Amino acid sequence: MTPQTEIPTPRYTLNCRMSQEAAALERLCQVVRIRGFRIARMAVETAGEHLDIALTLEGTRPIAMLQSQLEKLHTVAEVALGAPAVARSRSA
Amino acid sequence: MNGAQHILEAFHRHNISTVFGYPGGCIMPLYDALVDDVGVEHVLCRHEQACALAADGFARASGKLGVCIATSGPGATNLITGVANAHRDSIPMLVITGQVPSGLIGTDAFQETDVLGMTLGIVKHSYLVDDADTLPAIMEEAIALAQSGRPGPVWIDIPKDLLLSQVAEAPLPQPEFREPACPDLTDALAMLRSARKPLLYSGGGISLAHAEDRFRAFAETSALPAVVTLKGIGNPGKHNPYNLGMLGMHGSRAANRAVDECDLLLVIGARLDDRATGKLDGFAPNAKTIHIDADAAEFNKLRPADLAIRGDLNAILAELTGALTSKPLAIRNWQQQCRTWHTTGGFQAADNEEALAPITGPAFIRQLSRIAPDDTIVACDVGQHQMWVAQHYEFDHPRHHLTSGGLGTMGFGLPAAIGAQFADRNRMVINVTGDGSFMMNAQELATIRRYNLPVKLIVLDNQCLGMVRQQQELFYNNRESHINLDDNPDFVAMARAFDIPALHIERTDQIRRGIETIIAYNGPMLLHVAISRQDNVWPIVKPGASNREMIDETRRTSTANKEQVA
Repeated sequence: MTPQTEIPTPRYTLNCRMSQEAAALERLCQVVRIRGFRIARMAVETAGEHLDIALTLEGTRPIAMLQSQLEKLHTVAEVALGAPAVARSRSA
Repeated sequence: MNGAQHILEAFHRHNISTVFGYPGGCIMPLYDALVDDVGVEHVLCRHEQACALAADGFARASGKLGVCIATSGPGATNLITGVANAHRDSIPMLVITGQVPSGLIGTDAFQETDVLGMTLGIVKHSYLVDDADTLPAIMEEAIALAQSGRPGPVWIDIPKDLLLSQVAEAPLPQPEFREPACPDLTDALAMLRSARKPLLYSGGGISLAHAEDRFRAFAETSALPAVVTLKGIGNPGKHNPYNLGMLGMHGSRAANRAVDECDLLLVIGARLDDRATGKLDGFAPNAKTIHIDADAAEFNKLRPADLAIRGDLNAILAELTGALTSKPLAIRNWQQQCRTWHTTGGFQAADNEEALAPITGPAFIRQLSRIAPDDTIVACDVGQHQMWVAQHYEFDHPRHHLTSGGLGTMGFGLPAAIGAQFADRNRMVINVTGDGSFMMNAQELATIRRYNLPVKLIVLDNQCLGMVRQQQELFYNNRESHINLDDNPDFVAMARAFDIPALHIERTDQIRRGIETIIAYNGPMLLHVAISRQDNVWPIVKPGASNREMIDETRRTSTANKEQVA
């Protein structure tokens, strides 16, 4: 077998506040997926009429591109990029 | 007032007087309300996909909101291609569907589909109404949202029981979507003034922002050499001496050369998509980029911008025009160079003088462009004919050219032409289509007949899926695969079956007479134009290649296939 190279995949934390509407979470997850990121961890809390979502994401594309796409969602009130997380390795 | 009646009341309040739809079980309360409403013209298409595409064509031609309506289940799923088409081209659209009654959602009821879930990726926003009293606010918000900022389709899915429920009277909210103020343009002007070879690159965002006039003034004042995307065709106007036409995969050699050589790319209302840029590494290699758009998410998506400016294009263009009026750019050599390239490398098609010669697509479109009235709206389908129209028809306004740019939806043209004709009943509207695309929504001939729309239909028939055949010829060693349509129906007889008169032409000397006949005819008419199966669209850039590697007719099959193998 050919030895596999370890390629670090960048990891990010993203905090999102969005209004509670039908399919709010699905909409968020759909954008994350189609823009090239994988959800490694997701925590959701209800805060009044809002949802606070903490995402740990993996992906090789610029995170700013995802952030700007999420900010366009009508139900998203705020998107904040957390401190860079430790890179995780995956097999090529 | 019940939910259905409230929807119509909202239409009146927002001057929505034309909607495209198809009735069915769960949307029946809305259709019942329409019986008593004379202020909203409901256009019954023959397929829900055509309803959405007609609403799209209406919006593109008029600049207003397009509205389409369907029932749950298959009604909603049939809308999807049309809504995706609007989403990809940022067309303002309101979509209303009936849903199974609230208590049956999630029970696999008859004609139930998870419309909200399955359409998330093709809408700007969407709602599943769960309380009739929220419907007024949702309608207001949806109508505003669809047309604000970067426009797009907004979908409201309404359970049947809520359409029948009484809606509580309450003050209507006034949704506000504030456009950003005009940003500081000092840096942009400095970059423009220091550039020796600046190039103006515009797209569909100009008309989406209703900034056509401001753009035209800027293009004329700046006298910048200009290239356009497929959706930007018509932005600079056909009389602009520095308009180099469309760039990209089927762009002109002049336009792609100018992009290759420029030292500053001023991108306005365009998203730098792959069909326009070709391989990104080789795109505008010597240029700095100023990117101006209403949508910040477009910045740095594909090509990093040296300066990104988000804002209202009208305000930005007005300020740029003012600044350049008082102090024009000194770029005479560059202007002259671009005009020379345009002369030698613009779109060219010889008008065959031989009377009995077969008709070629480019020659036909050039004649059509010369004969049709200046303000004609041309709705295309997708394929070779679409590119021939983009290359050879001289448009003087972006709203005169309706084309499915982002999604590339075969079957777009005929319903889009219907929508455009409803937007302006007195305008000349021509659907230029191919034999493949025409069959995708040919049932809409019945809609044309029903409403006696004077839409002109031109079918360029090469008896195959020409664009696929061309790419198979050039890039797949001529291995034709499932592109043959030589068993097409008799399109003339087909049109006549819908009580639409039709003509057939096949020789060069019949072109003028054919075009003049359909244009002069007071009603719908179809012109069936037989063209060669072997005609290709030139030039072409191989998908994924740099625009610099254009292939034209002199370097055709063998060279391209050698490159493929290599």
